[in-house]
Amino acid sequence: MASKSTTGLFLRGFISTPKPRCSARPYHSYTHPPPPGPFTPVETAILSASLPHIPTHGFTHTTLSLGAKDASYIDASTNLFPRGAFSIVHYHLVTQRAALSKHKHILETSSQPGAKPPGIGAKVKALVWERLMANKGVIHRWQEALALMAQPSNIPTSISELSSLSDEIWFLAGDTSVDSSWYTKRASLATIYASTELFMTTDKSPDYSKTREFMDRRFEDSRVLGTVVGSVAEWVGFTAHAGLNVMRSKGVRV
Amino acid sequence: MALYSCGRSTLLAAHIPVYDFLAPSLINITRSTRSVRHLSTSAASNAQDASSNTPGSDAQSHPKRPSKPLTQAQRDFLTSALRVNQAGELAATLIYAAQTPPIVKAHPHLRPLMKHMYDQEAGHFDTFNSLLAKHRIRPTAMYPLWTVAASALGWGTALLGREAAMACTEAVETEIGDHYNGQLRYLLDMIEGMESRGEVIGEDLRELVGTIRRIRDEELEHLDHAVENDAKKAVPHELLTGVIRAGCKGAIWISEKV
Ligand SMILES: [Fe+2]
Ligand SMILES: [Fe+2]
Repeated sequence: MASKSTTGLFLRGFISTPKPRCSARPYHSYTHPPPPGPFTPVETAILSASLPHIPTHGFTHTTLSLGAKDASYIDASTNLFPRGAFSIVHYHLVTQRAALSKHKHILETSSQPGAKPPGIGAKVKALVWERLMANKGVIHRWQEALALMAQPSNIPTSISELSSLSDEIWFLAGDTSVDSSWYTKRASLATIYASTELFMTTDKSPDYSKTREFMDRRFEDSRVLGTVVGSVAEWVGFTAHAGLNVMRSKGVRV
Repeated sequence: MALYSCGRSTLLAAHIPVYDFLAPSLINITRSTRSVRHLSTSAASNAQDASSNTPGSDAQSHPKRPSKPLTQAQRDFLTSALRVNQAGELAATLIYAAQTPPIVKAHPHLRPLMKHMYDQEAGHFDTFNSLLAKHRIRPTAMYPLWTVAASALGWGTALLGREAAMACTEAVETEIGDHYNGQLRYLLDMIEGMESRGEVIGEDLRELVGTIRRIRDEELEHLDHAVENDAKKAVPHELLTGVIRAGCKGAIWISEKV
């Protein structure tokens, strides 16, 4: 076991921080198995064992150590995570994104005759809501996560996770447009998600009804869903604007 | 007229060997594939037959799904190849769409040809659109720019007259033909390498080879049409095609990256 950990440590030295591994997922193959995810089996074991400690200990090194202990690794194995507590945040983001495909009731078009199948827009909204609800258990600690995500060395991963989430939602909802609306759709959805997620950290209303209203208003405002932003100027302007908003919501001063 | 068709056939004859260079490598790689050049639509199914008929590891592993993920380099190649192809076909549809009204107005007999070429380009564009969506590849960020540039090129060359419009087609299709041939070579090398390591090849890769081969053949058909319609008589031919080809190269280079 010790040798396994040292190898992991050794490898981490080469594949170290700035460039997130496998965050962008180009060429999704349907016949070849997917490439390995961003976490090694050891990392996965420790990180998944850490999750139950988040509500009490937050996104902290303590949580990581407790997770390592629970997964029966020595305390020093937390050295596997050069980015420390951010790895828990990253793990949460990756696994909750992957979990979206399990919401079959949203994704499957209802087979009832006569029932109008939900449109892409409705599916997008439902998936955003499911993703937000997946933060329910850790929402009182989420501002710690946001602070970690906004640290300069973690920003590339944070942004790329946010855009992967946005891409995942459009893909699952069945959107197939591959023109310049591809960018506006993802940018606007990322903005909506990030701002609603931030709103949710301060929401004390029952069943997060205030968050729901906030999200509905954001979707209303964007009006990008279902329409195509035609002009080049609008497209450039909107993308830049959305990018800025996303960074602001992550605590970057721009 | 007779004189033209004479010159035409020698020109065509002179072109053929250039595109046939792929033939030997095709025979080597997908062994039991017989007719090489105009497989077009049946290429994918032929490739499938090839793998089930060939004795050895291929036949045994045919029902198996590929067990190895594609490497980062392979996925990077496929991503940028499909992205640049979509951008190219977008440009092609826009060029023909912009050229058609002025050309058809001045030369009504070209209407069926222009429509035929446009329809094929629209088919290519649809093919790559659905491949991008299926494989979750983002379109080029230069999409709006290519839209403007391609329309301007089509419109501009059409205003210069039939010969210039055809010279534009000649230049574009020459670059595109080379570009698709390059991709085919790379893909076939990749498949050969995977086969030699005993890896199972995903059906989507085999289909892609068939698709690109069919589209390449259609692009070369457009090139032939352009030459038949006096592309070489455009003045100044070399300058015009040289500039357009350089533009295509630049656009391909950029679209592969962003
Ligand atoms: Fe084409
Ligand atoms: Fe063409």
